[in-house]
Amino acid sequence: MNETLTPLTIEGLSIVPAVHDTKLRLTMSGAVEMRDPGEMLNPFWTRIDEEARSRNVQSVEVDIRDLNFMNSSGILTLVRWITKLKVSAAYRLVIRYDRNVTWQRSSIPTLAKLAPNVVVPLDING
Amino acid sequence: MQGRANLSDYVEMRFGPRWTYISCVRKFVASFFMIGLADKERAEQISMAASELLENAVKYASEEEGYLKISIEKQNNEVDVCVKNKAESQQINTLRREFALIHAGQPEMVYLKKMEEAAMTEGQSRLGLIRILFEAGAKLRLDVNEGEVSIHAIFPLETA
Repeated sequence: MNETLTPLTIEGLSIVPAVHDTKLRLTMSGAVEMRDPGEMLNPFWTRIDEEARSRNVQSVEVDIRDLNFMNSSGILTLVRWITKLKVSAAYRLVIRYDRNVTWQRSSIPTLAKLAPNVVVPLDING
Repeated sequence: MQGRANLSDYVEMRFGPRWTYISCVRKFVASFFMIGLADKERAEQISMAASELLENAVKYASEEEGYLKISIEKQNNEVDVCVKNKAESQQINTLRREFALIHAGQPEMVYLKKMEEAAMTEGQSRLGLIRILFEAGAKLRLDVNEGEVSIHAIFPLETA
């Protein structure tokens, strides 16, 4: 059964979450380049984390292939999420990225090294 | 924006520290170097560096001197992205410490350590410079002259 959760739309960024059986999937598009992305993204990731734990999903999949840029403050919001997950692992965080996009190819595998047991970088060709 | 005839490619922009300009400059730099270098990866690395340097400049520039300048110079063997702004002495000292720190170890290890530290503290990420160093593979240089800070991100180019 598929279920849609409340999406986030702010300053050129859209994140659409949906539940697919044992997986929570988030599709990001646009860009994360606002001055303080943590203001909106930190509480949003916390809500997703709580949702994933309460539903006992096996994985949360974040698809960033349509995200054309993320600044370092945006990267930090993912670092905060990963750090919490590393302390209390309840699901796998799968990040689907496009290997043809330079920032995605360099940032995501590095992020995964923070918690290789819970973060899975999944490179896609396009 | 202006051109200088004696260099192979040179662009310069000067503007007030407005956040909304940064995205516009990043897209311009990416398009410009996509054409100029015919190397998508390098063009995206250069534009990412330009964006991160401009973000730092807008965040930490002196409020009294309301402008910043970005120049990008392509010569035979390298591209030099330079962002210049006035800064208070406290910010300059912070930058000097930051430069010492990011050059004190293997870039990936420093990057991961800074990520872990940043996750434990509130406030700014301070990941921009190490991101340029590690992810974009640029050399970084800091010049300070009478309260004016210049940060250079220098990209080697493959010679044919």
